Amino acid sequence: MNTRFSWFNATSIALGFAFLYIPILLLVIYSFNESRLVTVWGGWSTKWYASLLTNEDLLDAAWVTVRVAFISATVATILGTLAAIVLVRMNRFPGRTLFSGMIFAPLVMPEVITGLSLLLLFVAINFDRGFWTIVMAHITFSMCFAAVVVQARLLDFDKSVEEAAMDLGATPVNTFMQVTLPIIAPAVISAWLLAFTLSLDDLVIASFAQGPGATTLPIKIYSQVRRGVTPEINAISTIMIAIVTLGVLTASFITRRAQQRASAGAK
Amino acid sequence: MQGPAPSSNATDAHFNLTSGGATPPQSQTRSGPRTFAPQSGFAPWKNPIKPPIVRFENVTKRFGDFVAVNNCTLDIYEREFFALLGPSGCGKSTLLRMLAGFERPTEGRIIVEGQDITDLPPYERPVNMMFQSYALFPHMTVESNIGFGLRQEGMAKSEIDIRVDQAMAMVELMPFAKRKPNQLSGGQQQRVALARAIAKKPRIMLLDEPLGALDKRLRGQAQFELMRIQESTGTTFIIVTHDQEEAMTVSSRIAVMDKGIIAQVATPGDIYEYPGSRYVANFIGDVNILEGKVSAVSDGVIDIAWADGPGTFKTRSAENVTVGQQVWLALRPEKMRITHDKPEQSENAISGKVDDVGYLGSISHYHVRVANGQRVTALRANSAQSFERAITWEDQVWLQWPADTGVVLTK
Amino acid sequence: MRRWYVIAAPYIWLLLFFLIPFFIVFKISLSDSTRAIPPYIPTLDITGGWDAIKTYVSQLDFENYAFIFSDPLYINAYWSSIKIAGISTILTLLIGYPIAYGMARAPHEWRATLMMLVILPFWTSFLIRVYAWIGILKKEGLLNLFLMNMGVISEPLTIMNTNIAVYIGIVYSYLPFMILPLYSSLEKISPSLIEAAEDLGSPPWRAFWQITFPLSLAGVFAGCLLVFIPAVGEFVIPDLLGGSETLMIGKTLWSEFFNNSDWPVASAVAVVLLLVLIIPIMFFQRMQANEREAAR
Repeated sequence: MNTRFSWFNATSIALGFAFLYIPILLLVIYSFNESRLVTVWGGWSTKWYASLLTNEDLLDAAWVTVRVAFISATVATILGTLAAIVLVRMNRFPGRTLFSGMIFAPLVMPEVITGLSLLLLFVAINFDRGFWTIVMAHITFSMCFAAVVVQARLLDFDKSVEEAAMDLGATPVNTFMQVTLPIIAPAVISAWLLAFTLSLDDLVIASFAQGPGATTLPIKIYSQVRRGVTPEINAISTIMIAIVTLGVLTASFITRRAQQRASAGAK
Repeated sequence: MQGPAPSSNATDAHFNLTSGGATPPQSQTRSGPRTFAPQSGFAPWKNPIKPPIVRFENVTKRFGDFVAVNNCTLDIYEREFFALLGPSGCGKSTLLRMLAGFERPTEGRIIVEGQDITDLPPYERPVNMMFQSYALFPHMTVESNIGFGLRQEGMAKSEIDIRVDQAMAMVELMPFAKRKPNQLSGGQQQRVALARAIAKKPRIMLLDEPLGALDKRLRGQAQFELMRIQESTGTTFIIVTHDQEEAMTVSSRIAVMDKGIIAQVATPGDIYEYPGSRYVANFIGDVNILEGKVSAVSDGVIDIAWADGPGTFKTRSAENVTVGQQVWLALRPEKMRITHDKPEQSENAISGKVDDVGYLGSISHYHVRVANGQRVTALRANSAQSFERAITWEDQVWLQWPADTGVVLTK
Repeated sequence: MRRWYVIAAPYIWLLLFFLIPFFIVFKISLSDSTRAIPPYIPTLDITGGWDAIKTYVSQLDFENYAFIFSDPLYINAYWSSIKIAGISTILTLLIGYPIAYGMARAPHEWRATLMMLVILPFWTSFLIRVYAWIGILKKEGLLNLFLMNMGVISEPLTIMNTNIAVYIGIVYSYLPFMILPLYSSLEKISPSLIEAAEDLGSPPWRAFWQITFPLSLAGVFAGCLLVFIPAVGEFVIPDLLGGSETLMIGKTLWSEFFNNSDWPVASAVAVVLLLVLIIPIMFFQRMQANEREAAR
C-alpha cells in the first residue's frame, strides 16, 4: 500500500536531512578554499591538505588517537559482548540491578563527570596519566555502548539454536564460539565500529585522562578551534569525515548483503 | 431460451427448480436461467425497482502497473450479508478498502444510498470496518475502544455510555469493560473489534477477513454470532473472505473474484449448483470437469462428445452453444452414483478403476481413474454400506449421473 | 559456576572504573584544596592504622557544598544549564518528531537508507560538527553572508556567542538521539490503527493526537531523556558556540578544574550535578530495563 511518500512526510524528511547535512557539506567545500578567509571564496585548492602533511604535531596526535581507538574498541567490544550476554541470558545473580545500572548510566552520563571521576581515580591510585589512562577511560564508556548494540541482537536471537547445539554435544564454550558468535557477528562488528568512532571523537574524557606525551587529535583540534576557524581544520575534518563515512558505508553494505544472503538462504 | 424441464428424478427433489419450464426472472449474472431458490423470500436483487445501497460503477484500481481491481460493477442491497470471495490477491480487500475510503479508485464511481462517495474521506462515510488485524487501540480499555467512534461524533457522554453498554452486551463483553486489548484472548479481541464498529450503527458494516485469526472451532461460533447480529440490527454486512465455507454459511449472496474481476455474483446455492465458469466451479467445493465438444443441441438438451474418452454426455441446459464448440461439463461428486455393475438405463455413465478411497465416517470419497487417466471423484453416503458389496481399491466401477445434474460451461 | 567468569570481567571493570571513581569524587568533594600534588588535603595514610582513618574522616566536611550554595554563580549555572537543556530538548523534539514520523511512514524499501542517513552524522566527530557551525553562525559567517546577499537582512545577525547558537548546536548534535527512539516507537504503530480511527469518524489530525501521539509517548520520553541528560552537563557546545552570557555547569566544572585547579570544588560541583540528574537517569534506566523485559 505504502509505496509513495506523502508530501508532508517528504518535506519533513527533506528539511531534516538538509539541516543535518548542509553544515557538514559547507565544511567540506570550504576545506578546498584557496583563501585563508572563510567567507571569501578564492577558488579550488588542495593546499591545506598539503600543509597538513608537514604538521608533525597533528600527525603525532592522529597516530596516538588511532592506536587508542583500536585498542580501546577491541577491549570494549569483548567486555561489552560479555556484558550483553549477562544482561540477556542471566536473569538472577546478586547485584544484577547494579550491573544493568552501570551499563545504562554511562550512556547518558555527562562526559565532564565521567572524565573527572576517572582522573581522580588515576590520581588516587597514583597511576601515571598518559596513553594507557586514555585507553582505560575509553574502554569504560564505549563498552556500555557496545553492550547495548550486541544486546539488541541477542534479544531477537532464537535461543533454541543454542539449545540444539548443546543437545548435539557442544560444550557451552564451543556453542558460543561456533553457534552464537557467528550469528551475532554483525552486531559485534558494528559494536566495534561504534566503540572505535566514539574513541576517535572523544574530547572531554580524553582531556581529563591525558598526560604528558599523549595528546589525541580532538584535543589538538579543540585548542586550534578556540583560536578560530582555519582551512587546515576544515581539511583535517574532511579527512576524518571521509574515513568514517567510508567505514560506515562499507560496514552497512557488508551487513546488508549478509542479511540478504541469509534471508535468501532461508527461502 | 428455454428453462429446464422439471426433474423427474425423485432424489433431486431438493433442487426445487423453477417449475414448468417457465423462464425464471433473469438473474444479474451469467449463471444461466436456472436458479437455486434461497431458503427465505429475501431477494431484493430480483426486484428491478429496488435501488441498491452500494453500487460500484466500473471501478478500477491500479497500483503502478498492477491492476488490483479491473472494471468492477456490483450492486449490493440493504440488509444483505454480502460476501466477497476469492484467493489472496484477487482484489477483494482492495474493493472493500475503496468502499471504506482507504483507497481511491483509479477509475469509476462508488455510490452509497444514491450519493457519490468516491471522493469522501473515510471519516465522513456511513460505513464502518472490522479489521482483519482487529486494529484495537492498545492504549485504550475495551470500553473506550468501543466508545471511540461515538466520541468522534461529539455525542453526549451519557448517550455514549448507553450505546457502549448496548454494544458490549450484544457481544457479551461486559465483564471485560476495563481491560486493555492485550489482556484479552483472540476471540474476545475479535468481539471488541465487532462491537467497536457496530456501536456506530453504520448503514454498512465492512468485515475484512474478520475471523481469519480464530481457530476452526471458534470460527464456527463467531460466524453464527455475526449472522445473529446482522439480522438483529438489520445492518448491511459486506464480508471479505478467502474461506468458501464461511462465505456459504453467512452470506445472502457471494461475489467470486478472480484477478481483479468479478467472476460471478449469486446466492450460495446458485454459485454451488450453477457455477458460471470452471474457475468458480473449482473454487467453490469439489468438482469434476470433463472436457468435450458439443455434438448436438435439441430441445434443451446438449450432447457433449467427451474429448478424453468414449462416450457422449447428455445434459439439460439452456446454455447457448453451437455444435462443435468446446465446452466443459461440471459435475459435483455427490451427484455421481458409483456402482460395480454397468447401469441399465442411465443417461450418462463412464467406467474406471478405483484409485483411492477416503473414508470420512458419514460419507466416503471414491477417486476413480477413468479413460485417459483423469481422476473423477464420487461421494457416497455410508448408509448403504451394509447392503452392498463394499467398493474398494482397484475395483472396476461405473459412474453415472442424470442429465440434469451437470452444468455446461463455456469458459 | 562457569558463568561467573562471564559476569566477572565486565562487572569488575565497571566497578573499578565507573562506580569506585564516583566514591572518590565524593570523598574529594569533602576535602580542602591546597597547593600541592595532589592539590587537596587530607590524604589518607592507610599505614597509620585506625587512628589515621579517624583523623582523616574528622578532617572531611561539607564546606565546598556550602560554598557552592552560597555563591550565586553556581546556582545560576545549574539553573541555566537545566533551562538551556530543557529548551533545546523541546526544540529537538519539535524538529525530530516530523522527521521520525516521515521516516516511519516512508515506503519500506527506503527506511533502512533513511535510518543510515540519520545515524551517519552521529558517527562523524562531535567536535567537527560543532565546529562546522562556527563558520556558519559567526558575524562574517556563511548564514549572514547568504541572508545579506538575498536581501533579507541589511545588518549581520549576532548569533554566534549567544544562547541561540548553543540551542542550535545542541539541537544539531543531539537530533539523531531524538529521532532514533521516536522512529522505533512510531514504526511499531500499525497503519491499520490510523485507518480504524479514520473509519470511526476521526479526521487525520485528530487521529494523530488520539492514536499516534499517545502510542509514541515511550519514544518521546526516551528521546527527551537521551537529549536532556547529556545536554545539562554539556561542555563543548557552550564553550565553542556560547558567549559570556552562556552559563552552563559543564563549563563551570571544567574551568574550576583546569583553570582554577580547585579539585575539591570541581568534585562538589560534579556531585551536585549528578544529584540533579539522578532522577532523569534512573527514569532512563527503568525505561531501558522495561524495554528489555518487553522484548524477551
